Amino acid sequence: MNTKIRQLKQELSKAVIGQETMIEGLLIGLLCDGHILVEGVPGLAKTTTINAFSKVFGLDFKRIQFTPDLLPSDIIGAQIYNPKDHSFSIKKGPLFTHLLLADEINRAPAKVQSALLEVMQERQITIADETFKLPSAFLVMATQNPIEQEGVYALPEAQLDRFMMKIVVQHNSEEEELEIMRKGANKSFTEVQKVLDIEELKSLQKEVESVHIDKELEQYIIHLISATREPKKFHLNTLANSIMFGVSPRASIDLYKASKAKAFLRGKTFVSPADIGYVVHDVLRHRIVLSYEARAKGILVDDVISTIVETLPIP
Amino acid sequence: MFKSYTFKYIYILLLTGLMGVTTLYAQDFNHKFKLSNATPYVKEAVILTLDLNQTNHNVVLFFHFTLKKSPHYTFHRLSAKERGENIAAKVHYEYLIYPLHKGKVPLQFELIQKSTTEENLAYSFSGDRDNVKGLTTVNTSITLTPLTLHVKPLPKGTMLVGDFNLTQTFTKHHATAYEPLPFQVTLQGLGYSPLLENLYPNQDNFTLFKERPIVKVVNSLEGTRSTVTYPMALSHTKSFTLPPLNIHAFNPKTKQSYTLKVEKQHFTVETVAVKSLVDKIDYPTPLKSDWSWLSSFLSYLVVFIAGYFSAISLKWRGKSVATPQHPLKEKIKACKEKKQLLQLLMATDSKAYSQSIEKLESSLYENSKITLNTVKAELLKGLE
Repeated sequence: MNTKIRQLKQELSKAVIGQETMIEGLLIGLLCDGHILVEGVPGLAKTTTINAFSKVFGLDFKRIQFTPDLLPSDIIGAQIYNPKDHSFSIKKGPLFTHLLLADEINRAPAKVQSALLEVMQERQITIADETFKLPSAFLVMATQNPIEQEGVYALPEAQLDRFMMKIVVQHNSEEEELEIMRKGANKSFTEVQKVLDIEELKSLQKEVESVHIDKELEQYIIHLISATREPKKFHLNTLANSIMFGVSPRASIDLYKASKAKAFLRGKTFVSPADIGYVVHDVLRHRIVLSYEARAKGILVDDVISTIVETLPIP
Repeated sequence: MFKSYTFKYIYILLLTGLMGVTTLYAQDFNHKFKLSNATPYVKEAVILTLDLNQTNHNVVLFFHFTLKKSPHYTFHRLSAKERGENIAAKVHYEYLIYPLHKGKVPLQFELIQKSTTEENLAYSFSGDRDNVKGLTTVNTSITLTPLTLHVKPLPKGTMLVGDFNLTQTFTKHHATAYEPLPFQVTLQGLGYSPLLENLYPNQDNFTLFKERPIVKVVNSLEGTRSTVTYPMALSHTKSFTLPPLNIHAFNPKTKQSYTLKVEKQHFTVETVAVKSLVDKIDYPTPLKSDWSWLSSFLSYLVVFIAGYFSAISLKWRGKSVATPQHPLKEKIKACKEKKQLLQLLMATDSKAYSQSIEKLESSLYENSKITLNTVKAELLKGLE
């Protein structure tokens, strides 16, 4: 494993205990310039993790708590009139940052979600007639609470597609919980130090890009993607009635990039089938739309992905 | 002689004053009461009109007017007509009143003046179906002096007040024992609604069946035009005579009493020979004992016992059932190649089996010498 990555993980472990899936997901997001959607119950160190990330990389960090009365101007900023000199000035919103935690994104109405997701895609913000480019390292970690369904605006599939990965955060193991409890009670979480700067992050991103991926594995990724669209073509007849819509071309790009990043994080210079296997669930989970029949039967998207991986032969 | 004439003259003057126009003025409007008759008979129709005219044209006025409920009279609102503009409201109310007892009957009123501005009125109209804007008003309760009716008594024994006629329909006068003999009496005319509690009182020599009377009423400035139909039926085991019905009525317009009559009616009833009836005995003793309850009880008992033992048998069976194997175990055992096992672990939970995946990867792509069976054994051990 890259020494910088090892140092980074060590530093992060000072503030965050466990939650390796979320940390790995955020690292992959940062290395691939993608955004991460995190689903998990409250209190699983989501804010702590992204805060620690900002300190480790020396990046700006802002948090927006999404509420039903939030307006697009609350997050992107607005033009403000100054009565003293009869002029307008731009007040930049919290989106002008490197790392953004969009907490409980599904609590805000569609217009705010659209404003955020557009910025995520374009990486630029237009206020009045002025357009601002966002800083090069820009990662949005949006969270969704799976428990409450009342008074939430579920993200449409087309908008979910903008997220590179959807990570399901689970509770910590008993050992980790014990450590958190002790450290939390004694306030003995140590301060996280800066390990990398933006330039080093950019060089890491270039290293990820240079990770080799074999043509056969590229084909394997294409097969995985195609299987979600045309299951019958891959003899997955049982899935034909379960999938309403397969994944988009963004999924193949993101799976390709995420596999490379995963291989890099594992300290390898080439991608193996296992690297794809490690990230395939996280990349495809929020992009497959199950049919009504499948949902009625209680079939989960993860089960569908597992069946595809289990059926398609690896190179 | 002179004295009696003087008193009569004063009395007539007073009555004329009450019958005449009563006009009172308030601050923002004036009002005018008019009674059609201030000295009616008991249950004679009296028409009360009220005209409200706005005098202060700087405000927008609305009114809420009604007579107060009282045991001394009944009333019906005939109309409430609004004319004029917002700042020059004119409201005309018409009420039909029936005094219920003789002597002085005070008519009491409730009037609320609702004043607002044209801006408030315009604002209340600016809303729509989904955004209703209420009209803000300043409500003032206005005290109106009660009017008094000097009600004259009815002649003794009067049951109906008004101009009514009576029709009766007897469909048949001949029947067998207990067969109903339907008939109906209809009272129709103008006056106080002719609702009588007991048109025919119950008698011992026949059975009288009554239904709730069918009432049709139309109130107007003339008074109340009613049609009340009393449907009834008679029944008895032998022939009988229905006594005559006399209803004493009084017409206040003509000041004449009159009687509405139904002549006595004779009904011929054929008696039934009891011997010819199939069922001659009341409460006969049962022909045989009914033991069906025992069979029902036993069947319920059998079902209960069967259910009880079924539940117990499930418990017994449950003990003998072996715990099912982990589904992944079977799949791992079935793997014959390293790639197949790697694929299975990738699909299942690649993060949980990362160590095994790494071993398989190094064996497949880096020529490590670990065997498939070793990895399988490790995995199976972990699953136990």
